[in-house]
Amino acid sequence: MANSLPSLAIPGQRLGPAGDFSAGPGTHVHHSHIYASIAGPVFVDPTQQNATEKSIISVSRTQRIKSASTSAFVPSTLPTTALKSKPKYNTLPAVDSVVLARVTRVQKRQAAVSILVVLDEPSSTLGLNPSQPASDNDNIDSILSSAANPENHSSSDELRFQALIRKEDVRAVEKDRVVLDEMFRVGDIVRGTVISLGDQSFYYITTARNDLGVVMARSEAGNMMFPVSWKEMRDPVTGAAEQRKVARPF
Amino acid sequence: MTDRRRINGPSGGTRPPVFASSIKSTTTATERPQRQRQPNELRKIFLKTGLIPSASGSSYLEFEHSASLSAARALPKSLIPPSSSLKLACTVHGPKPLPRSATFSPNLVLTTHVKYAPFAARKRKGHIRDASERDLGVHLETALRGVIVAERWPKSGLDITITILEAEDDRWWGDAPDSHDAAWGMMNVLAGCITAASAAIADARIDCLDLVAGGVAAVVVDESVDGGEPSTPRLMLDTDPAEHRSLLSACVVAYMPARDEITELWLKGDNSKASVGTDDKSLSYETLIDGAVDAARGAHSVLAEAVRESAERLAGLETGYST
Repeated sequence: MANSLPSLAIPGQRLGPAGDFSAGPGTHVHHSHIYASIAGPVFVDPTQQNATEKSIISVSRTQRIKSASTSAFVPSTLPTTALKSKPKYNTLPAVDSVVLARVTRVQKRQAAVSILVVLDEPSSTLGLNPSQPASDNDNIDSILSSAANPENHSSSDELRFQALIRKEDVRAVEKDRVVLDEMFRVGDIVRGTVISLGDQSFYYITTARNDLGVVMARSEAGNMMFPVSWKEMRDPVTGAAEQRKVARPF
Repeated sequence: MTDRRRINGPSGGTRPPVFASSIKSTTTATERPQRQRQPNELRKIFLKTGLIPSASGSSYLEFEHSASLSAARALPKSLIPPSSSLKLACTVHGPKPLPRSATFSPNLVLTTHVKYAPFAARKRKGHIRDASERDLGVHLETALRGVIVAERWPKSGLDITITILEAEDDRWWGDAPDSHDAAWGMMNVLAGCITAASAAIADARIDCLDLVAGGVAAVVVDESVDGGEPSTPRLMLDTDPAEHRSLLSACVVAYMPARDEITELWLKGDNSKASVGTDDKSLSYETLIDGAVDAARGAHSVLAEAVRESAERLAGLETGYST
């Protein structure tokens, strides 16, 4: 059945009957047929071969590596290529998506951040999997090394999606003892998940999980710090310790 | 408001003056551009996506020169080109966050800007968008709003900016303005805008129901070959207004071929006088709209190829990047 599908679709192209497939990302259903809604390579997800589950047709925004995709494209040996895909075609933040954000303002009750990267769902679980060491930090390093540099982003915050981390969303325990100044500093890179699309201007993000929190931070002296515990990071040059809500580093 | 701090050029045209006497003596009917194409034959369209790297999607569209313009370029008789051909660039920025002052929107907020370059038309355009440019923007937004799947992009905005580098003429430059005049060139411009914007949106990977294409058809009156009585009105696709004595009515559609739906229809002019007394069904408004749809189908084939090229470029780039 998959052979009748085109390897590359353009918007409005009919891909298959909705009775045989279910519509994935990048497609829509019209008159019980699945049509492509963006231009890109077509993938059929052959997940379950059970008769109960229909395979999912999706049109990829980028050349993503999926198992058993059409053989017209060169499969990569690296399993982490999806993370390396160009951020130009970023998807929007949605509820439960994992994002990397830079802290722009710390107030008494909330911290404002601007979202730098929305991680894809499969890649985020892959990145958060502790059995794959150094997977996410290495791959997003190129994005973050420029993002952590404050000179690079003087005015581009207007072009990024803004989000808030409220005081009670910082951690799961002892919520009322949270002091935001001891959790985040301006310029930190934070990993969090979106809990709500929020109001007209802000998304809402939580870091109340062990694997969420500050992933990169600079000390007052300006050096990149390394984490020493879930609430402390240390400067390798001066040795000074600073308090942060640290994401699980390994 | 006048600008008193700078010395500005003339606000009107900057073309060399043409005197009526010189038109009479040097230009004859042979210099008036003549349509060399069949009535249902479109001009060739050049369409390419992804030429503006800073935008999330972009496209450039150009219509083929008319035969008279190519001839005049090869053997110039006058400083003034006999006709012009449409050239425009379209950029898509977004999806990006809405400005802080905007209210919450669960859908994609579409904004369209159409701007003529100052040198685009024979009459010079100002730097501020005038009424006709705003009008084109509204028409374009209507055409695109029906195509974009807006609910997939909550809380975000999409800016579509079109710069017209060379516009179509409203009539042959040598003709005196007469009662049949209207902004006929705008209709060709709108059709080009729709096609180019559709390509740029597809290049930006915004979800669309279909690739919407623009097409123009018009009922025209030409002078007969011997220069005598005007001929009977005829329906033509993809008209260049400079090539015809007068246009009675014209129609632009934005058309989705996969669904056979029209998202935008703009009909201008009156051909009731032309069809009076004749039982000619070919001059009714329905045939005019059908003609415009046929023109849009032709444009769609070019559009589909350009979008396919954009998708291939992306796929090829990504595989090249990963290996």
